[in-house]
Amino acid sequence: MGLESKLGDSFITTTIDKVVNWGRKNSLWPMPFGTACCAIEMMATLATKFDLSRFGAEAIRFSPRQSDLMIVSGRISIKMMPVLRKIYDQMPEPKWVISMGACASCGGVFDTYTLVQGVDQFIPVDIYVPGCPPRPEDLIDAVMQIQKLIGDETVSVARMTKREEISQGTLG
Amino acid sequence: MSEQQTAAEVAEPQEPIVIQQLKEKFTDHILTFIDQRSELSVIVSKDASFEILEFLKAGSNPSYDFLVDVTAIDYSQMEDVLVEYDYARFMVIYHLNSFMTNERLRVKVPVNEKELTIKSTVALWKSADWLEREVYDMFGINFDGHPNLRRILMPDDFEGFPLRKDYPLRGRGEREKFNFGRENV
Repeated sequence: MGLESKLGDSFITTTIDKVVNWGRKNSLWPMPFGTACCAIEMMATLATKFDLSRFGAEAIRFSPRQSDLMIVSGRISIKMMPVLRKIYDQMPEPKWVISMGACASCGGVFDTYTLVQGVDQFIPVDIYVPGCPPRPEDLIDAVMQIQKLIGDETVSVARMTKREEISQGTLG
Repeated sequence: MSEQQTAAEVAEPQEPIVIQQLKEKFTDHILTFIDQRSELSVIVSKDASFEILEFLKAGSNPSYDFLVDVTAIDYSQMEDVLVEYDYARFMVIYHLNSFMTNERLRVKVPVNEKELTIKSTVALWKSADWLEREVYDMFGINFDGHPNLRRILMPDDFEGFPLRKDYPLRGRGEREKFNFGRENV
């Protein structure tokens, strides 16, 4: 996607934006990183009653290399954190992260010596879903919000640069 | 069974047979036994704990051939228990079950903090391997003769024994300073 950055904001890039974003948001393949009780609700969301594949999440691969949305559902202990980071690093760009449930977002009820108080200390999170566990409808809402986020993206600014600028506070 | 016999049995509750056998065989080492709310516990001394468990596994009546759990408890904040057992801070607890008669037995062994080691029962029950590793990880009690005594739940370079009573809930800063084990990543 190098030519578009030279064109800047023109009707070509906006049309390309729309097409690319439409493709990406309607085929989000999740990488379910389920460790605890939220994983059960995630399984319920992926099953028939609250079918998440209606939203394009057809292929639930436990392979990070073939996915673009990581759903961190459950408690993450300090022993598990390097594993989570490794899996996150193995996902190819573009990637998004949903932090599902109270424990992944902020440690939940477990303010203890073993648990990471929020995975956003180690990986960038796009959407936080509150709940213990959140209902399947909440998770579907989170996926829809990710789709909205994707719809607002533009290909003329590289995603890695944008993330770095956000994390350093220099995004214009 | 005549009526007088049953009346006599009811009037004087007898010790369970296994306790009688233990007292015959290991008189000095059986400290107390407690039969409370139909749960039977026996507190034995550390020097003979392995022999007593070996006897309970095969030789007693009933023979408790199933090790349900190995755990420990820190009595450092319960003065009355400490006084009774010579200020032994920890007690290692073995829960046993008998498949033939479906009876349970709890064996408690006081362990002093100055000599924080007890003979491992891996030779009797293979499942004691991980159960004793958990007790080591959470309390710091060493198991003499264990083939692979290292941490099982906490990360390998964790310092401190979390289930001791003097260990704070939020830890002593380990989770803030956790460095991912940088040499491996």
